[in-house]
Amino acid sequence: MTPEMTRVERLDDMIAARVGGRGWLVAVLGAALVAISALLPWTYTDAYPENLTVYFYPAGPQLYVLALSVVALVLLVGERVDVLGRLVRLAVPHGTGGTVRALALGSFLISVGVVLRMIVLLGGSVNVDPGGYLAVVGALLLMIGSRVLPSDDPLPLRAKLPAAVEIAIVGVSMLVMLVLVVRGLALDEQESFSAFAVFAGFLVFAAARAGLIGWVSQLSSRHYGVTVAAAFVVAALFPFTQGGANRYLNVMANVLIFAIVAIGLNIVIGLAGLLDLGYIAFLGVGAYTGALLSGSQFSTVDWVPPFPVVLALGALAAALFGVIIGIPSIRTRGDYLAIVTLGFGEIFRITVNNLGGTGSGPDITNGPNGIPDIPALEFFGWNLGEDLNIFGFELGFFANYYFIELVLLAFVVLVFVRANNSRIGRAWVAIREDETAAAAMGINTFRLKVSAFVLGASLAGLAGVIKAHLSTSVEPTQFQFLESAFLVAAIVLGGMGTVTGVLLGATILRLLPEKLRFIDEYRLLIFGAALILVMRFRPEGLVPSARRAREFHEEEITERLAREQVAGSPVTGSRGGQP
Amino acid sequence: MDLFFGQLQNGVVLGALYALIALGYTMVYGIIQLINFAHGEIFMVGAFGALSVFTWGSLQGTTTWVALPLMLVGAVIASVTTALLAERFAYRPLRNAPRLAPLITAIGLSIVLQELVRTSLPIPGGQQIFDGATRAQPFPQLIGGESIDLGVTSISRINLTIIVVALVCMVALIQFVNRSRTGRAMQATAQDPDTARLMGINVNRIIVTAFLLGAALAAVAGLMHGLRYGNVDNRIGFIAGLKAFTAAVLGGIGNIGGAVLGGFFLGLVETMATTYMPGDFGGGAWKDAWAFVVLVLVLVLRPQGLLGEKVADRA
Amino acid sequence: MSATAAPAPAPAAPERAVPVLEAAGVTMRFGGLVAVREVDLVVNEGEIVGLIGPNGAGKTTFFNCLTGLYQPTSGEVRYRGTVLPSVSYKVTDAGVARTFQNIRLFQHMTALENVQVGSHTRTKSGLGSAIARTSNFKREEKGSVDKARELLQFVGLTRAGGTLARNLPYGDQRRLEIARALASDPGLLLLDEPTAGMNERETTDARDLVFAIRDRGLAVVVIEHDMRFIFSLCSRVAVLVQGQKLVEGSPVEVQRDERVVAAYLGEPTGADESDEEVLEVLAAEERARTAEPTPDHDREATP
Repeated sequence: MTPEMTRVERLDDMIAARVGGRGWLVAVLGAALVAISALLPWTYTDAYPENLTVYFYPAGPQLYVLALSVVALVLLVGERVDVLGRLVRLAVPHGTGGTVRALALGSFLISVGVVLRMIVLLGGSVNVDPGGYLAVVGALLLMIGSRVLPSDDPLPLRAKLPAAVEIAIVGVSMLVMLVLVVRGLALDEQESFSAFAVFAGFLVFAAARAGLIGWVSQLSSRHYGVTVAAAFVVAALFPFTQGGANRYLNVMANVLIFAIVAIGLNIVIGLAGLLDLGYIAFLGVGAYTGALLSGSQFSTVDWVPPFPVVLALGALAAALFGVIIGIPSIRTRGDYLAIVTLGFGEIFRITVNNLGGTGSGPDITNGPNGIPDIPALEFFGWNLGEDLNIFGFELGFFANYYFIELVLLAFVVLVFVRANNSRIGRAWVAIREDETAAAAMGINTFRLKVSAFVLGASLAGLAGVIKAHLSTSVEPTQFQFLESAFLVAAIVLGGMGTVTGVLLGATILRLLPEKLRFIDEYRLLIFGAALILVMRFRPEGLVPSARRAREFHEEEITERLAREQVAGSPVTGSRGGQP
Repeated sequence: MDLFFGQLQNGVVLGALYALIALGYTMVYGIIQLINFAHGEIFMVGAFGALSVFTWGSLQGTTTWVALPLMLVGAVIASVTTALLAERFAYRPLRNAPRLAPLITAIGLSIVLQELVRTSLPIPGGQQIFDGATRAQPFPQLIGGESIDLGVTSISRINLTIIVVALVCMVALIQFVNRSRTGRAMQATAQDPDTARLMGINVNRIIVTAFLLGAALAAVAGLMHGLRYGNVDNRIGFIAGLKAFTAAVLGGIGNIGGAVLGGFFLGLVETMATTYMPGDFGGGAWKDAWAFVVLVLVLVLRPQGLLGEKVADRA
Repeated sequence: MSATAAPAPAPAAPERAVPVLEAAGVTMRFGGLVAVREVDLVVNEGEIVGLIGPNGAGKTTFFNCLTGLYQPTSGEVRYRGTVLPSVSYKVTDAGVARTFQNIRLFQHMTALENVQVGSHTRTKSGLGSAIARTSNFKREEKGSVDKARELLQFVGLTRAGGTLARNLPYGDQRRLEIARALASDPGLLLLDEPTAGMNERETTDARDLVFAIRDRGLAVVVIEHDMRFIFSLCSRVAVLVQGQKLVEGSPVEVQRDERVVAAYLGEPTGADESDEEVLEVLAAEERARTAEPTPDHDREATP
């Protein structure tokens, strides 16, 4: 042990010293115990959601730990058996160490979480049957044993499979995602949902450690166009899984709006590097445009143009505001840009709040009450307020908005990708990297920054028009700074500059609070804490663009290389006593 | 005329509060170029610190001369502890990260502090004392009594107190920065941290000092705010913070005299605009907007502020 | 040492001098410090002009004044007869390109992308055509890639196109910067210490590259500390000391000028001729006067 090692490395050394070569045995024993425990009851009362009281009838968390432990078992045993070994290697390109550790941690968290929750909910540890405790013990053993397994060992690029097979694999992964999301949404009680969320999360994490996620990413980037199309097809399947219910369609429709706006903001922040903390104002401009032209009785404007015209006007209005706000803002430097845009955002909110004709301004936006009672969208004879019936499936009317938003999302993603891979996109990156050098290359940095700003604004305007009809009312409180902060968080947490990352971040941020209603009180607190923690430990986000990851971890990488040089050991290689 | 002097007083008092908070922003930015977005919350925490001391210590009925200093101590302890923890655990690890990281961390911290105060301020006995502090919590009015007649106008005791206390604090700070060893070290670090380090200055300690002083001043402002306006809630930090930042930039960020100047200027502009702006655009509803307008104008037209210097970009 | 015994003689200036760059009275003041004082410089078509001087003499500042990075306190800069506005991107658009003393590549972009960015000002497609992917856009993109590839080949980085700029070895990074600068089809190229940190062979390659650039029709101004490089390359050399142009002339003239030697080696101390130091300095001056060009001992090791 040397003082420069991290705490985790020192712990691993201690475990290795005690457990030594028997690590594998301990891990296998642990996994087996967990699997067995899943078949035992964890409690005798059905006061705990999902029936955990029957022998040989695993449900909910029992199923989850069963699945995790069985997979771990298969990997552990399979590795040591010749024939199976090659199969295991195929399925788990990075080696089993990290994967099993992820599976172990997942089982541990689920079992401990459930047992603790039982104790609290049912009032006393006596209410927990031995099965529950066995699960905890087994998971603990599995965790300890797995720490001495060799580390990840990335294999070189795998051989190419026929294109059809690769596309099929990508498609299957997406369907798996869909199934997970649908199942997760359907779980109502907080215990069931939390257990499932941990399960799904660690399943994905284990797949990531196994190298499967990386592999699927590679495949999808090889067949980029098809992958994207497949993603939209799978997403369009979602309404069909709802059996006619509207509730989650509404939720997902809102998630989509959020995602669209986040991608628009990603152009401003992720591509051009302009930190805009007042972006929500552009959504607001679009929303108010849509609301005022919607024919609502509270609107102060009598004109009700057809939908495509409203869309265009919304985008135009937002673009106009983008120019008005952008030109002065972009003249400022770095941090100040963030504050100026924040200021403009607040000015917007205060203005629409005050233009209500009650003494603080002419009545344009109906003041603090906003414009409620916005009728459903209607164009080309399609009334989005009516339920649909497609291929014999009943779809709640929010599905209409869902579909139209999918189209808008596709459009916005298209704009993003195409702008990125172009002369303008390169210029934006150049400006972000070294503005002075960029100018020396002939780039009119001011004009380009403004164009990013205005483009982002107009996309938000489009989304705003639809949002007005979706929410059926538009009020100033919908556009406060916190909303901008959420948008920025979605981008930062998800991974700036990448479409997948931002979509992921947006979905998580918008969806989780819906399901985790029991922490509604602490929702914002957790959000703030998450921001702090992510910027501390993983500032490049969940799905970083390779560039960003390098930018953020430069220091660490240099330090680690320097440390390793001093220690004389190779950069890659396993720890824990394995050669 | 009475209205004018009355509003002038209000403007000066408001300005004094802004100035106290602005000093915290300016000192930290001057040394580590970080906009401490959460500084407004430090101010709010100070106010609640004072309120907590009053409530827990059951100071109802104790004489002002005893209660006030105790409350002040409570405020300062609350603010300073928060600021030091923030610096040590949130900001220091990100010292060398790209600028986006500390800014977002600061936003997160601001939200965390607002929410912590709202949800979790406990009292011995397990009951939430503040019952969701989004509702304005009444603050003891310890300084009341008759206004003092100045001939042409009269000034209320609380207003006088605030102005005097604020001026004392500002003068003390300026003396400290200009005369003391630590103060000079702060100036050196603000100009060139690397050279300062080479001169033997413990830069980390200086940064902590800057946070500490800023927090203490914000705590004073928090206490004064409560005494003056009669209530506090967990949201006062957000708006006050932005306005104080405006004041700091207006005066020239990094410039202590500038922060004072900017604070008073902004307070007066805000008060006078809401009183005297014609037609619909006067009045309280647009109060905050004026501050933001000033903010935008300053950052766009003269980012170095009134007293600051242009920084050349050496290629 | 190197294969060439003596550096190839710099070709004589062309018969009819067509001025490409005319800098007149350029002065740059930072508060109380005068970094560049009344510097004139004329560069003609097809010339390679050297700009030398001790560190801190104001050479890079002068470049910055020419290219709009700084706004000169006074003075005028003309390119092909037209006054250059003191705005960076407009200068490049007019036809003046540059490299930087401390390499300023776009680190997280590939070499190819870096060069493509260099051609930004000679291409037109904006957001509209990018989003609509018009045939104009596609044509221009292909053109930009082809041009970038050609330039990479020209500077000797044929296979480095896909490498990230930050992963390139140091010498290659300098060459990439030159390729990037050439992408804007300039008529005048300003090189700021292109051989800093290079070894003997790389320096010779760099020299040949500059000749090749000249042969493409560009005029070049080079800031350098490597005397042999300068003297073998340039038809004319200007010496900047403490912001002022001290001497200008052919390499041989400049080399022999006492003031130049003094500026680099320092003035001799006291009048006592028995002083050892004084003798050494006098001897050095004598050597400089009579000997062939020697490597510059002052060269700083810049990373």
